[in-house]
Amino acid sequence: MKKIISTFLALVIVFTSCCVVLADEVTTIEFWTWRPEDVTFYDEMIARFEEANPDVKVNQTAINNTEYFTVLAAAMANNAGPDVMQMKCYGQLQTYIDSNYLAPLEEYIPELADFSENARRGAASNVDGVLYGVPAWSQAMLCYYNKSIYEELGLSVPDTWDAFINNLAKCKEANYDALANGTKEGWCVEFLFGGSCLGFTGANDFYDKVVKGETTFEDPAFVTAVEKMGSLTEYMPKIYEGVAYTDMQSSFANEIAAHFIGGTYEYANFLNLNPDINLGVFAVPNIDGEPGYVATYSDMNFSMNSSTKNEDASIKFLKFLASKEFGQAAVEKLANVSIVPGVDAGSVPFIAEILELLKNSCPYIFAVGFRYEQPTGSSLFQSAGQSYMVGEITAEELCKKVQEGIATYYEPFQK
Amino acid sequence: MRIQKTKKQQKYFWIAFFITPGLLMVFVFILLPLFMSMFNSMFDWNNYNRLGFIGLNNFKTLFTGYYYSERFFNAIQNNLKWFVMTMLIQNVFGLYFGYMLSRRINGSEVFKRIFFIPVLFSITAVGFLWGLYLKPNGLINSFLALINAEHLQRAWLGDGKIATYTIILVNIWRWTGFPTLVFMSSVDALPIENIEAAYIDGANELNIFFKIVLPLIVPAITTITVLTIIGSLNVFEQVYVMAGVDGQPNYSTDTICTLFYRTAFGTYDSSSPVIGVGSAMSVIIYLLTFFFSITSISWLQKKEVEI
Amino acid sequence: MNIDFHIKKAKSTKKLTLIFTFFMMFVYVIIILYPLFNMVISSFKSTRDIIRYPFALPESISFKSYYTVWIEKKFYNYFINSVIVTSVSMLFVVLLGSMASFGVSRYQYKGNTFLYMLFLSGIMLPLKAALIPLYMIINKLGLSNSLTCIILINIASGLPSTVFILSGFMRTFPKDLEYAARIDGCSDWRIYWNVVMPVVIPGVAIVTIYNAVPIWNDFFFPLVFIQSDALRTLPVGLNSFIGQYKTDWGLMFTGLSISIIPMLLLYLSMSNQFIRGMTGGAIK
Repeated sequence: MKKIISTFLALVIVFTSCCVVLADEVTTIEFWTWRPEDVTFYDEMIARFEEANPDVKVNQTAINNTEYFTVLAAAMANNAGPDVMQMKCYGQLQTYIDSNYLAPLEEYIPELADFSENARRGAASNVDGVLYGVPAWSQAMLCYYNKSIYEELGLSVPDTWDAFINNLAKCKEANYDALANGTKEGWCVEFLFGGSCLGFTGANDFYDKVVKGETTFEDPAFVTAVEKMGSLTEYMPKIYEGVAYTDMQSSFANEIAAHFIGGTYEYANFLNLNPDINLGVFAVPNIDGEPGYVATYSDMNFSMNSSTKNEDASIKFLKFLASKEFGQAAVEKLANVSIVPGVDAGSVPFIAEILELLKNSCPYIFAVGFRYEQPTGSSLFQSAGQSYMVGEITAEELCKKVQEGIATYYEPFQK
Repeated sequence: MRIQKTKKQQKYFWIAFFITPGLLMVFVFILLPLFMSMFNSMFDWNNYNRLGFIGLNNFKTLFTGYYYSERFFNAIQNNLKWFVMTMLIQNVFGLYFGYMLSRRINGSEVFKRIFFIPVLFSITAVGFLWGLYLKPNGLINSFLALINAEHLQRAWLGDGKIATYTIILVNIWRWTGFPTLVFMSSVDALPIENIEAAYIDGANELNIFFKIVLPLIVPAITTITVLTIIGSLNVFEQVYVMAGVDGQPNYSTDTICTLFYRTAFGTYDSSSPVIGVGSAMSVIIYLLTFFFSITSISWLQKKEVEI
Repeated sequence: MNIDFHIKKAKSTKKLTLIFTFFMMFVYVIIILYPLFNMVISSFKSTRDIIRYPFALPESISFKSYYTVWIEKKFYNYFINSVIVTSVSMLFVVLLGSMASFGVSRYQYKGNTFLYMLFLSGIMLPLKAALIPLYMIINKLGLSNSLTCIILINIASGLPSTVFILSGFMRTFPKDLEYAARIDGCSDWRIYWNVVMPVVIPGVAIVTIYNAVPIWNDFFFPLVFIQSDALRTLPVGLNSFIGQYKTDWGLMFTGLSISIIPMLLLYLSMSNQFIRGMTGGAIK
């Protein structure tokens, strides 16, 4: 039985390889993404690329993000897998760099030198600073609000924390869900914090200090920031501990909720769910007299498998993904903040607004700085944050858990 | 003498003939990869790079290291909840329904066909449907509002104190048909004369069930118990679909298999793989399951003999 | 003598117990059928209507989305693949599994307990734990990206529970009957196939559903080992479909319905044979 199968397979392999040779020098490369929702976008992009490069064919496979990295790791551990793929940034990129699964790219793609310092940080190895990815786009955490509800209730964009709370209270009185956010999923607590309270910690100053170990997460400013996040529960939906991510999205998009604290990546989806929605964004003001901060981080890279057999074709495709043409399309079609240099991101009004807010930004603290080892800062903050938001632990205890967990491996904290 | 030898040879030929194909499959596609991956627990790992041999250090980390030990014992408590709840509710109802159906209670022909329907559903579909009904504004809470019991409304999947029980109940909803049919078929296979004789002796229904039927279906009880033990220690999909690989909220629904999966493969939005400790976990899960199923098989088989 | 439980004929306490049981069973039937019904009606609704009026009936019924999913999204293709994978896998699970059960339960020899344990040890851990080495083996055998490798994995993972369940059934088969057959000159194969197998049909029925359902629904291994779209199975197709249309709940319910309804129809049309098999038609 097995013999028959293997003979049959051998025949198939011989046959297909003959076909490939006969069909001239077209190289097919495999391209994997974790965005099934963007399949159409990439199909269009690939069509454009193939038109310009008739000798390369790109085969797209989209796998849901929940399984993506498992499937990828199983394939790459056996020197198989895609030639080019979507890859995460910072610590999760490091995992694949350390495992020697990715090819360094700077020698092939000189254009990478033109990317901004921030963009490069998301694609670089933290060992030697070499780039292993083409930075795709960055995200910002901020507050969406429903302009129609604001008009109806006579509210204006808040310029202080108290004014923000006051707006929430007014919405609540008018029987709207003031805030769409819930805490069923841990990562939603992390972005709630990143999108509303980082200013209280001291933003960039705090980030620089805590990364160097000059202060800790038990710093009173950080505790205060956590407490401020806790004070928002009053304006969240009833039974907010059961509200999942998709519930938040649909209640804001369907104009049941007036505010949504979250990432720029939501925008396209809101419009998709409700094309008539009239929404705006602002950075939540924290300290009186200072503008609010938005938290930002690089979201995605395109990387190349170190064991690819189609290096030239893969590089061609990566160069395309690093091009202005692709960056511009990402801005226009996906409403992403492309970090490809020279892209006119402001051509989309929403993105222009985001770019304006990004002038006052700070790193999305755990994702940028504390995802390199286990347990990651993100996973610690997410789980303790869920306990805190339902009142099982205090803000001090949350901070202590995060600090102690990170201190088990983070040298600057071990002094 | 010669004849006997060939007979013996023949016997071993037949044993080999019956067993080899299956054993080969199990060995190549299950045992070999499992042991290969357990072997990894003895090594130090940097992400997917295997470094030096470190003996049992990964086990030490698992049981004493900050974070892992806490997570591991939290998870194993949940597996225990799965076992107890499944035994107490699913299997007891299975036995009850199965017995009643085999005694042809009114409507039994319809019931036994319908009870089995949820078993056919994929866990993805079941998780998604019930996830929807258990939302804060979903069917269950709307129903509670309807009967004026708003104080009973809960975040069924969002409240750490009850989320595990909710997922277990959904799983019970899905699986009760299975023990029902197994018990029904094992009661059906019993000789009807036993029960008739008991009636003639004037035994009451409870006695008939506990004294006559129950002892005779111990083999079926063994099968269901062992499958429940293995199932409870291997709970993964149900939690993965309804509470994510993190066992949301705040690890309250975590089981040893979700913990293992998360440790060995990392998660999309917060962590990276730690293969050494992950493999150590798989060894522990394997040993635990093996120990408990063997113990219960031999214990129940002793019962069988006694009776 | 009629020993059936009939509510009408029963007396006092027994009557109450039976009515209570009937009521419980009835409630269970409702909570089985309602979600199913809700799933189907939701597939005819828009996302907004599903969120706002989850229990309302659809305003109109259109099979457009079913056409989209079945034809344009190639679910018919995935469906065929799933049928092939499940039926071939189950054929071998039952054949090889019952042979192995026969081998461990009907012969006395040193090491039969060990062999039984060896089979059994294959269900102690989800095979996912061994994904990376398994990938290596599949690759070395040159089987990746084929339905064959999925079928082989399914057969292997179905065997341990099959051996566990079926050898339990076979052990209870009386030795005397086997001797009688032997004296009649039956070969071991004939004893296995013609004498023992017909008697353990209920066990075969249990094993079949216990394994066929997870095989039909599994998306993990096909996802890992199959890259080409033409070879995808239904659960993989459904999974990426759900990923792509996360926000279009109406379409998602269509996808779910399409993945469930064929199985349901198959079950309902075969339920008589199935129930008869379960309750040991061969013995009586």
